[in-house]
Amino acid sequence: MPTSEQLENEIKKLIIELLALEDVTPADIEPEAALFVEGLGLDSIDALEIAMALEERYGVKIGDDPEQNQQIFASVRALAGFVSESRVQ
Amino acid sequence: MQSRTIPLSLTFRERRPDTAPVAFGRDGTRSFGDFVRDVAALAAAVEKVGAGRWLLDTESAYAAAVGLLALAQTGSVALLPTNRQPETLRRLRSDLVGGLIDPARDASALAGLPRLDPLAQPPALAPAWRLDRDAPFAELETSGTSGEGRWIPKALRHLEDEIETLEAVFGARLPAEARVFATVSHQHIYGLLFRALWPLCSGRPFHSNLLLLPQELFPRMLECRDAVLVTTPVHLRRMTATQELVRLAGVCRAVFSSGGPLEAETAVRVAERLGEAPIEILGSTETGGVAVRQRSRGGELFTPLPGVRVDFESPDAGLVVTSAFVSVGLPTHTGERRFRMGDRAQQMPDGSFRLLGRSDRTVKIGEKRLSLPEMEKDLAQHPALCEVALLVLPQASQPRVHAAVVLSETGRGMLIQAGRRALGRALAGYLAARWDAVLLPRVWRYVDALPRNAQGKLPVDALAALFEPRNRDAIVHHESRAEGWLERQLEVPRDLVYLDGHYDTQPLVAAVVELRWVMEAAFDLLGRTPRVREFEVLKFPEVLLPGQRFSLRVEQSEAGDRLDFQLYEGRRVFASGRCRLAASEGETC
Repeated sequence: MPTSEQLENEIKKLIIELLALEDVTPADIEPEAALFVEGLGLDSIDALEIAMALEERYGVKIGDDPEQNQQIFASVRALAGFVSESRVQ
Repeated sequence: MQSRTIPLSLTFRERRPDTAPVAFGRDGTRSFGDFVRDVAALAAAVEKVGAGRWLLDTESAYAAAVGLLALAQTGSVALLPTNRQPETLRRLRSDLVGGLIDPARDASALAGLPRLDPLAQPPALAPAWRLDRDAPFAELETSGTSGEGRWIPKALRHLEDEIETLEAVFGARLPAEARVFATVSHQHIYGLLFRALWPLCSGRPFHSNLLLLPQELFPRMLECRDAVLVTTPVHLRRMTATQELVRLAGVCRAVFSSGGPLEAETAVRVAERLGEAPIEILGSTETGGVAVRQRSRGGELFTPLPGVRVDFESPDAGLVVTSAFVSVGLPTHTGERRFRMGDRAQQMPDGSFRLLGRSDRTVKIGEKRLSLPEMEKDLAQHPALCEVALLVLPQASQPRVHAAVVLSETGRGMLIQAGRRALGRALAGYLAARWDAVLLPRVWRYVDALPRNAQGKLPVDALAALFEPRNRDAIVHHESRAEGWLERQLEVPRDLVYLDGHYDTQPLVAAVVELRWVMEAAFDLLGRTPRVREFEVLKFPEVLLPGQRFSLRVEQSEAGDRLDFQLYEGRRVFASGRCRLAASEGETC
């Protein structure tokens, strides 16, 4: 079972590769920094891509509760937390 | 078997059975009886505030249908926004009597405006229903050819007549009680008609909520005997990336696609998985539906819908549409209107046509329309920039706005101080007040001059060449690692972007780039960003040239407080040194 830091790094790399982000390395992404609007500046199209990639890679399903999703997608740390919780269940 | 269609203006005059389902979804199933009661309650509440122009902004398509008919009943007009940027909403506010807004929506830009939750009003007596075909019914927002929201008025008859035509053309293929699902919002004309009003009129229950992810959408569709999917090329591209669409083959009776051109490849994949290609609808907010194409039936040509006349004046001008669904443009002697679209087309002898592309550099991303010249004008106002050229290119298989900019002196200062990414984010942030997030430029090129030709024009392919992928990394041939160290066999690619101008007479890898590669290796070795307190004994004995193969080794001291690194090949050393690491939390040094 990877440490939370390793999982965060995996997810950072996944996001960078998936969205073909230029000028961003994993070291550039603070784990608690905002992903949407502020911080990385991702948008709703990116959110869908990420949700699908996470499901493919980790088997976690992201539901359709907009409030819950806002929390899950708040930062890389929040995403990693969601992934490891869902895996355990 | 076709279903019994009730014209929109007669929705309450010719009634369905009270128990007939109208909509279903997260908030349960709503029957026709519920619908009548909900409209009555809302109409009474709207009357109390006052008739006039009302904002209608809901996540639930059912709530939107209730809202539209309640407003129509009171002689009000519904404004359906698509651009919810704060500036746009504020500008709108003075025009509005009130807003019908879902509790979930953020309407803080409209503070002080009377606000009603469409489905939470106290019961009221149903009035004598009167819906006037010719009365103004709704205004739909489109970005048109300008970034400013343009409001396209629709009378009830524009929508009613299109619904009748859609049922006449497609109704026979759709079972009478097929359930309609959508990945598009009802705030756009396509979603408004296809996922809400057409189902409402034809008695087909529609799913109230927006389902964007296959894992939300598919299970719900599979619960039905017959289902219809209203979607867009963007979503179909994603859904056909794997085989998963096959799961719907037993229930999905039709797939509608609109909002942009659908590539043949995606259409063929849908046909392979579901038995039929998507039914593509060409239309616009101004004109309503114009033409239809289904690749499994007729190749790439569009056929105008019955009652729609399409004129082609020249290959460079957009096609001109005249029909009962067109609500803006020049009036003709028949009472119908005539409107020139921004889509160019080539006419075939039988009246069908092939699309040729836009005439006005207007593009679509997500469902949002964008005029590139308009955004260029806007962006060029920024003090960091002298000149701007925008282009839409795929990034990670999504169309995204790419920007090539010439920096002013201020801009060059900002680039040096803040870096490429921060400058790009700042420029995008500047546009965010007026433009939707998905339209903001994502990829930036800072150039000394735009690649104009001898005539001073900017050819599209020269502009696109600026964004061709360039190597930013060393080529990795091999990696080995163990506890405490990591070693990579690398090669300097000849097209490494950092070689540009460094130096023109002899390209070589700058020391700072070598250190970046060291830091990346350190990140992988440590599993986290190394916190460097200082560098020591940095040496760059030999120059690293394009095409050079070399080894990069990073090693952590046992105490964990130091990283030693070396770039070498045999006896030749290109770089070597040491980083002192700061103690991380929880570790003693």
